Amino acid sequence: MQTGGHILSEFNAALKSFKSKTVNIGCLSQQNLENAIQGMISRNSELCNKVIAEDEDVDQLEISIDEEGMTLMSKYRPFASDLRAIVASMKITNVIERISDHAVSIAKRSRKLNKFPELPETALIEPLYKQANSMLTDALSAYSNSDLELAMKVIEADDALDNLHKQATKKLTKCLEGEGENHKAYLHLVFISRWLERVGDLAENIAEDVIYMETATDIRHGGELPS
Amino acid sequence: MSTLTAVAPNVLQKGTNVDAELNSSNSTITMETTPNPTPANQTMIEIDDVSFSYDLGKTNTLRNISLDIPEKQVTAFIGPSGCGKSTLLRCINRMNDLVETSRVTNGEIRIMGQDINAKSVSAIELRKQVGMVFQKYNPFPKSIYDNVAYGLRIQGIKDKSTLDESVERALKGAALWDEVKDRLKDSALGLSGGQQQRLCIARATAVRPKVILMDEPCSALDPIATAKVEELITELRRDFTIVIVTHSMQQASRISNNTAFFYLGELIEYDDTNKIFSNPSIKQTEDYISGRFG
Repeated sequence: MQTGGHILSEFNAALKSFKSKTVNIGCLSQQNLENAIQGMISRNSELCNKVIAEDEDVDQLEISIDEEGMTLMSKYRPFASDLRAIVASMKITNVIERISDHAVSIAKRSRKLNKFPELPETALIEPLYKQANSMLTDALSAYSNSDLELAMKVIEADDALDNLHKQATKKLTKCLEGEGENHKAYLHLVFISRWLERVGDLAENIAEDVIYMETATDIRHGGELPS
Repeated sequence: MSTLTAVAPNVLQKGTNVDAELNSSNSTITMETTPNPTPANQTMIEIDDVSFSYDLGKTNTLRNISLDIPEKQVTAFIGPSGCGKSTLLRCINRMNDLVETSRVTNGEIRIMGQDINAKSVSAIELRKQVGMVFQKYNPFPKSIYDNVAYGLRIQGIKDKSTLDESVERALKGAALWDEVKDRLKDSALGLSGGQQQRLCIARATAVRPKVILMDEPCSALDPIATAKVEELITELRRDFTIVIVTHSMQQASRISNNTAFFYLGELIEYDDTNKIFSNPSIKQTEDYISGRFG
């Protein structure tokens, strides 16, 4: 995403600021996800509450970025790469907000989990989180640095996350089939696993938008990857 | 050879007897009522390796331009001032002939297969087929009716009912009829700017040319009048091949099917308008349309 070089320097500055806000909401959302998982691992319900409270900031930032995107389009009438950059950034912001929503869902389940005795199966979630978080980090870096190679790497990494999710679900389903008082806790872990898998899908969506932004190639729904 | 190609050399002959032409089956007027036999979007104008000079060939203002302009579509020429887009537009109806030292120094421009700079082709007859609308609306200081009927009368049409019918059709085609039908005898100069420009478009279409050239037709109009002219252009492309020079990227992207970007007398990129404005192939085009041009 080029933000400089326009004859109108005000447009350069506005695009730069817009991009910076998009990166910022990405960081906030990623922090929320990390806090939600830490809240579960360290059994810290306060951390979970923090996630729920801070999601409001993400929501407000999303609205503000959408407004700014609309203003940029109506004020500067961008074309080609500038237009793609603004549209892609608005879509990425929307995806990031949904990631934060998933972080909130994980935080709420973690709070409930913390009322149960500590379960060894909680460890199943950690590799899932690491993989989802790594994909999200790479997707945001790909956006920030216009790095197509990294965006492609995110897309390729989703299969590994899907496999981890399947393995975790299989094990947790077995736990659910057994007798015991922790059925509800296992169910919370199944949901958390599912949301982390969704975070990976959303990171993939960000990577697709980065590829569109940089190459004008829409690879969603089976579209061909740029050569 | 298509019928039109066969007709064109006759129509464009120097010294054509207008009355004889009007009465012959190959006349300009016959062409207006005959459905165009060429399938939609065939090439109407071929610009083939054209170079052009304003100073007897010492320097070329246009260099080796080649592009095919499809019929019944809108083709936009864009580029910074001095890039040659208006010069090329004026080559298409030989308006540059008015500059004594101007020359097409290389290549050919063919309309319906006919080289328009061939010795046998009359510029006056050419301009019956290639109308033009200018940046500043320029109605004659005559009545609304007489402005539209002017070209028809020059062609020798005197019959009142034929004139009435043609004027009404042209004014309706220019989306002006409802606004002026009760004051056709009033001076055209009393119309608003937007109405005067649409009147000029009606005047150009009244003689049923094949091609209409527009040189920044909306640059002197307010946004409402601009919208009306743009709406008119999208209507007119059903019947006419339109080539428009514009400095407005938004206008080119809204109304044209194809866009050609020129820089320093050269054609840099020519493609489908959607492609040019969403993902141009050449960096220079991208830099120009996105306002990065230095």
